[in-house]
Amino acid sequence: MKAKLLLEALSFALLVVAVVLLPHHVSDFHSRELATVGMYFIALVGLGILTGYSGQISLGHGAFMAIGGYTTAILEVNHGVRDIWTIPIAGLVAGAAGLLVGIPALRLSGPYLALVTLGIAIAFPQLPKKYGHFTGGTTGEILNLPKAPFGLHTTPNHWLYYLTWAIALMLLVCAWVLLRTKPGRTWQAVRDSETAAAASGIGVPAYKTLAFGISAFYAGIAGSLFAIATSFVNPDTYPIVLSIFLVVGLAVGGASSLAGLLAGAAFVYYLDNHADAVARWADHLPFVSVNPQQSGIPSVAFGAVLILVVLLLPTGVGGLLHRLLRPLTSRLYSRS
Amino acid sequence: MRRRVVLACLVIAAVCAAAAAARPLANPGVSSTEIDLGSSVPLSGEAAAAGSVARGADAYFKYVNAHGGVFGRKISFTYLDDGYDPGRAVTNTIRLVQQNQVFAMFAPLGTDNNLAIRKFLNQQGVPQLFVNSGATTFGRDYKQYPWTIGYIPPYSEEGKIYAKYILQQFKRPKIAVLYQNDDYGQDLLNGLRKGLGKKASAIVAKVGYDPTTTDVQPLITQLKASKANILCIFAFGKFSLQAFFGVSGAGWHPQIFVNDVSAASSLMVIPPKSATKGAISIVFGKDPAAPIWANDKGIKLFQSILAKYGSGLTPGASKDGYYTAGMAEAFTMVDTLRKAGKSLTRAGVMRAATHLNEKNNPFVLPGIVVHTTPTFRYPITQVKLQRWTNGAWHPFGKLVSQPPG
Repeated sequence: MKAKLLLEALSFALLVVAVVLLPHHVSDFHSRELATVGMYFIALVGLGILTGYSGQISLGHGAFMAIGGYTTAILEVNHGVRDIWTIPIAGLVAGAAGLLVGIPALRLSGPYLALVTLGIAIAFPQLPKKYGHFTGGTTGEILNLPKAPFGLHTTPNHWLYYLTWAIALMLLVCAWVLLRTKPGRTWQAVRDSETAAAASGIGVPAYKTLAFGISAFYAGIAGSLFAIATSFVNPDTYPIVLSIFLVVGLAVGGASSLAGLLAGAAFVYYLDNHADAVARWADHLPFVSVNPQQSGIPSVAFGAVLILVVLLLPTGVGGLLHRLLRPLTSRLYSRS
Repeated sequence: MRRRVVLACLVIAAVCAAAAAARPLANPGVSSTEIDLGSSVPLSGEAAAAGSVARGADAYFKYVNAHGGVFGRKISFTYLDDGYDPGRAVTNTIRLVQQNQVFAMFAPLGTDNNLAIRKFLNQQGVPQLFVNSGATTFGRDYKQYPWTIGYIPPYSEEGKIYAKYILQQFKRPKIAVLYQNDDYGQDLLNGLRKGLGKKASAIVAKVGYDPTTTDVQPLITQLKASKANILCIFAFGKFSLQAFFGVSGAGWHPQIFVNDVSAASSLMVIPPKSATKGAISIVFGKDPAAPIWANDKGIKLFQSILAKYGSGLTPGASKDGYYTAGMAEAFTMVDTLRKAGKSLTRAGVMRAATHLNEKNNPFVLPGIVVHTTPTFRYPITQVKLQRWTNGAWHPFGKLVSQPPG
């Protein structure tokens, strides 16, 4: 067991080193793209806790991101709060909303729960329109452009990068601790069999609701960072496809592997924004002729790559990592 | 030890030299052979049809390049898909400015999308030229956003033009208005109200709808109950179609005014003829589907350019008004670049864009002057009214204009 801990600590240390060093080796703009990957990663870790560990499906996490984003926008634009201080508040507001959603989730499971959460994702964008006087309505709110505080000399993109990844690493540690201690074990027990868990004296409803709250907290933080990076929120900045993309990231990453989620986050961001590059590459293949500037071609490329990935990696990147590392880890474990 | 110190000094000097060399170019996006322009438009999603504006512009730039470019520089135009999502428009814009180092953003599409990128572009001092939105703010708020300029007639002006025409033609106007409940629909409605002036009470009924609503036909029934004899459809795309269907289904026969951005011929042919017949709109660009331009030099040029230089064209492109609109804008862009002179700078191009007096744009109605001054940033304000008869638009009367705002 100790060896496993050591391995995990080692890979975390490697990740920290990579995160610190990476911006020096890529362009300023690429560090901004990596920051966005970090935001997806935060949301995916939250979703991983919910789906991978507590076994509840959510197709509506985009709505929690929107709640986080709007909290940041309203605090900053209407109340003059500095952007970084709004981040934890955004997380808490989204988390509270998550707890509320967690209550009906107790009565539903599987596809029914998925439908309820999808309903939330569809309905949420209407709320800011209804209460336009303090959310900016359909036009939305324009925030200040991101800028490093405390007189730090760094570009806005590097600032976004370090801010996002500092938070992401912190939240990753929190998730790791949660999952390796009592709540994590309880969630897994609930996921594997609710009846058995209840029979062993676990308060199933409390733990299920808690999972929703925590995962919404993560989504809220990610949504808040999105708003800061984009410096604009309106109902269209958190579209329904965002919720779907998160589920895609989860499937590609492997729901119960924190390391795999990193790949899931990168996959979703790059494929969404660079599908035209995939189409351009596919154009060079024999027997394929696509014009990336034609309507819909990038979407087709996105879909094709997604199908391929799911066919080749049915257990996600996490499953692949697990298989690749098994010879190493099993030896380590048997020794300990 | 000493050798090490010397070595360290050398390394530091080398790093400093490299850093100095890597300083951002004084004039990004312009070289002796190339000018880089960027844009963000919807190529996917529900507004994808409008994205063809960029394809039309792209074909025109390629045509100009093939004929020597601008002072020997070729225009390279990169337009990215934002799916009409302001968040993606921001990402695209930052990518174009910071990664592709474009000289200027040209004709980004959508009111919200342009609002979302305006602050960033103005902070960076990157021109946001000829935005594809008629929201009045893009022409009005130049003091706060000096790097931004509009293009198409502002919606507030369009509303006023309908009002003036109504006051001339109707003794007892009773106006019903269907409008999209956002900046765009409200700008039109306010223009109409201002244009009516003291007669604003002629608006007997108005209903706003939310852009995410599914069907506006029930609202038409509601408006019909007001017994209005005029219906203004200030609605976008499919909603404007639904409104026509609603009018037809309700057996209502008001005089219809339909706002310009929803009046494409390709849309107007869809609803029943009884509903669209006699509808009135405004027009500033030559509509390649309108029979009166069938032998026009400008439209012929448009079609030959599209056939030779177009890429990624959608079906029916040669009859699609979005492509001509894009070419009209590209024509003005090239004009602006020429005016800005050989030593091209961002400040110079803004100066040129705010001193336009272009009388020869072949893709807009004859007589229209694309005109701007540093304090009047609405390039196109002259329009004609047009009426839908026999399955096509027919412009009528003289060129008219109203003060925007």
